[in-house]
Amino acid sequence: MRNPLSIIRRRWSDSDDVRTDGGTAAERTPFLQRESVRSAPFWLPPFLLVALFVYGAILWNIVLSLTDFTGLGEPDYTNLDFENYVVAFTGGTPSWSDLSVEPIWNSLGNTVALMVGFTVFCLVLGLLLAILVDQEIRFENTFRTVYLLPMSLSFVVTAKFWLYMYNVETGLVNIVITSLGFGPVEIVQNPDLKLAAVAFALVWQFSGYAMIVYLAGLRAIPTSHFEAARVDGASTYRLYRRVVLPQLRTATVSALVVLTVFALKAFDFLFSMYSGYQPGPSADILATRMVREAYANSNWAYGSAIAVVLFVMALFIVAPYIYSQYRRGAL
Amino acid sequence: MSQQVATEGTTDETDRETGLLGGYGLRRVVLYAILLAMGVFYLVPIETGVMTAFTDPASYTGRAPFLPPLEPLVANSGEFSIQPWQNAVSGLSQGLLNSMILVIPATVLSGLLGSMAAYGLTNVHWRGQLAIYMLFVAGIFIPYQAVLVPLTQFWYNVVPLRTMFEPVGMALPIIEPYHWKLVALIVTHVAYGLPICTLLFRAHYKKLSDEMLEAARLDGASVTRIYRRIVLPLSIPMFAVVFIYQFTQIWNDLLFALTIVQFGDAAVVTQELVGIGVSQSGTNFPLRMAAALVAALPTLVVYVFFGDKFARGVAA
Amino acid sequence: MAELTLDAVTKVFQEGDGSEVVAVDDVNIDIGDGEFLVLVGPSGCGKSTTLRMIAGLETISSGEIRLGGSRLNEKQPAERDIAMVFQSYALYPHMTVRQNMSFGLEESTDLDDDTIRETVTDAATTMGIENLLDRKPGELSGGQQQRVALGRAIVRDPEVFLMDEPLSNLDAKLRAGMRTEIQRLQEDLDVTTVYVTHDQTEAMTMGDRIAVLDDGELMQVGSPLELYHRPANQFVAGFIGDPSMNFFDVSHEGGTLVGDGFEYPLSSDVASDLGETTDCVLGVRPEDVSLVESATDAHDFRTTVEVVEPMGNENNVYLSFGDEPSDEEPDQRFVATVGGLRRVERDSTVVARIPEDSVHLFDAATGDALHNRVLEEDVETQATIN
Repeated sequence: MRNPLSIIRRRWSDSDDVRTDGGTAAERTPFLQRESVRSAPFWLPPFLLVALFVYGAILWNIVLSLTDFTGLGEPDYTNLDFENYVVAFTGGTPSWSDLSVEPIWNSLGNTVALMVGFTVFCLVLGLLLAILVDQEIRFENTFRTVYLLPMSLSFVVTAKFWLYMYNVETGLVNIVITSLGFGPVEIVQNPDLKLAAVAFALVWQFSGYAMIVYLAGLRAIPTSHFEAARVDGASTYRLYRRVVLPQLRTATVSALVVLTVFALKAFDFLFSMYSGYQPGPSADILATRMVREAYANSNWAYGSAIAVVLFVMALFIVAPYIYSQYRRGAL
Repeated sequence: MSQQVATEGTTDETDRETGLLGGYGLRRVVLYAILLAMGVFYLVPIETGVMTAFTDPASYTGRAPFLPPLEPLVANSGEFSIQPWQNAVSGLSQGLLNSMILVIPATVLSGLLGSMAAYGLTNVHWRGQLAIYMLFVAGIFIPYQAVLVPLTQFWYNVVPLRTMFEPVGMALPIIEPYHWKLVALIVTHVAYGLPICTLLFRAHYKKLSDEMLEAARLDGASVTRIYRRIVLPLSIPMFAVVFIYQFTQIWNDLLFALTIVQFGDAAVVTQELVGIGVSQSGTNFPLRMAAALVAALPTLVVYVFFGDKFARGVAA
Repeated sequence: MAELTLDAVTKVFQEGDGSEVVAVDDVNIDIGDGEFLVLVGPSGCGKSTTLRMIAGLETISSGEIRLGGSRLNEKQPAERDIAMVFQSYALYPHMTVRQNMSFGLEESTDLDDDTIRETVTDAATTMGIENLLDRKPGELSGGQQQRVALGRAIVRDPEVFLMDEPLSNLDAKLRAGMRTEIQRLQEDLDVTTVYVTHDQTEAMTMGDRIAVLDDGELMQVGSPLELYHRPANQFVAGFIGDPSMNFFDVSHEGGTLVGDGFEYPLSSDVASDLGETTDCVLGVRPEDVSLVESATDAHDFRTTVEVVEPMGNENNVYLSFGDEPSDEEPDQRFVATVGGLRRVERDSTVVARIPEDSVHLFDAATGDALHNRVLEEDVETQATIN
């Protein structure tokens, strides 16, 4: 009695949501009455600003990375080549300089190490804190406020506090280490420790953020899941391992993406910690290397090339995330 | 066996929860001990900073930086002084002023434009709006290094605000020629803050009832009138969240200031903070800590008073 | 005048993958001035989409909607002189009741503030909410919000009221009260009204006429009694009435309907209505099935009682053919409604009478009605005149 098409039709229409095109489809509506045009005063100026400053600038940056632009003056766009990328990955003396240039492998390695170490520790600490805070404790708001407090500080201020904490003579970290009998240790200028020290300070600053995200994730799990697992006799450990963690995947992914991007932006912190563009080879990350090449050495085109590498790294993390958000209909 | 234990554990806990004392079992004690210890972990760098900032640099030994400066009552704790604060404020005053000139218009503009963009992309329905919105979202995650060189080129060579400002700077009493750099910085912060502002507002606007906005259309309100009379009044709570988030972000930024303002009259507070307290004779930690706290004060105050809204902003 | 005409109205949605979905398919309805028309159908049948096309919240893919003879298709919602009441009430939460009701007048008319004030106060008095004018929607109960939503619609004095399931958020008791109130209001104001609901009871009790939609297609338009007694097809027959009409798949073999476990002889008049059709569906309403003492007629069947649902004033008795209670799920189960005081035991054997003058017959392939029940004179005239 009913053809297959109408069954399909029924399936989508089973939901009570009335689908809508807002009463204006593009085809027959006069141009000025289209909703896209009517709403243009609202979205178009912001969009142009973003299009120009974000996307225009990225494209321009890619073009700049193909030039030989150094020093003062204007870039010359007539001779475009990939020399800067070759130099970035293999080193050597580029045509625009008399000196040989270091490849970026060292800072690339540091960037990945910082990114991985920082995000993993942040997520683990954040998750543990979130589970603790979620135990129906008293003064929950106070604890949460305290844990998130460092997040409101700037990288620059955090760096100043930890520079002091790490100080070999008067820093609290060293006072504690000394009282434990391990003698004062140079941390900030110690090539073996400085990257870990940076990562630790950043974990201090951002683990509260991971906690907030996880806490929201935990609160979104229906109480009935906890109760059902309890009735089934699951121990606390198994409850979290089997029931809770799998449901925190979305929270983990979104916290991971945001924290990774924070790590890519750690330039401000290193600049403040080392009072300038020179954190030294063992703490040099792509972000500092790029700004140093461009703004301290005036190797603008080379800096742009490093920036493109950084951008591609970010793209690899962010593009799948945005795509999955889009697929989930979360945008 | 393990099943039994688990069940017993649960009943115990429930009993304790309902007990008069509200739960002082061993597990609870350990729980609160850990929570407190973590609280100390997050607060101690700031606490040492505060204590040190009140110490007279001449009597500063750094023996016990977490103690209040109570010499001669407590040996080696340093003498109390507010001199570091005075020095910090005078050292940072120009930067504080410039940051204020920067942060207020930049915050308001990015919030307002973000709200408008979110409205146009969420509550008015048209084909292709999701594609436009995705470009906004992607903008949140751009590493700013990828746009720095073009930005510098843009503000120094393409849009020469500097030459446009010279006659104005001469004519008006308050406007100084270096303010062009702050204007450039404001526009930059608005542009790069827009994606996150749009995202925050869109999350809010998606929850507005479609039927309500349709009712307003049937009532004869235009797209603009619906925004002004319905959507804008209903987004006031979100404006608080967005303003707080943007204020913190812009106040705390160093990278854009470093590359657009560079150094000089227009330097903002984060730039000035980087170099303060370091001299040939060594590091003046009391001054440095006082300066860090002065620079952090506006965001700390905002955080302490509007912490919940800040949390909503970062969690989005 | 405000006759509303839907002329071959069709709505096609474009899917994301480029395919098309027909939500409303070639619907023709003429709604007279001051008429109360109920659009009814199961969820997703296109009734809300139809309403939204009238409101201008949805484009019309093809066809035409006319109000008082003039084409509405290209008009903006605000220019159509209609008011709509939404399922969620759609009140503006930051405005007081007075501001909610004034909003439309401020936005779409040039009336001065005093006139608006007066008009709003009048409308509020009509709705009995004049004491709530300074409150905000959040401080009101569901029923009060419903009144404000209605008040906001009548204050505009529109040519047409559109109502999209306005009662579905109210609890059952309040709903019955509001039902009569809306009817009274509509009669007093004499405004053309289109009312959408999925609830057939609401449709039966409220509408001057009912339009039944299924899968985007208009099944039948008619008065409540016409739809009840003269359904145009099996869908309408099954949708209108509670409990639903019983259906039996049967084949027509030389004047007798052969079903699964029973045979039903037809008189020659009825058999001739079937024509050449052999696969049919036999329909009978539960209240037309009676339980009798013993089988005296070819239309009496020995049946077993499966379940009894006591409703108080009546019992719904679920029956299956045959006189042996069985553990298996019966192939064919049907309902008889009997008086509430009559005792019927589960698993007992009873004789069910299915009188021939109350049966409906439908073409099994198309669902079209081939024969409708016989009606007594007065009901007959009422059903056809309307």
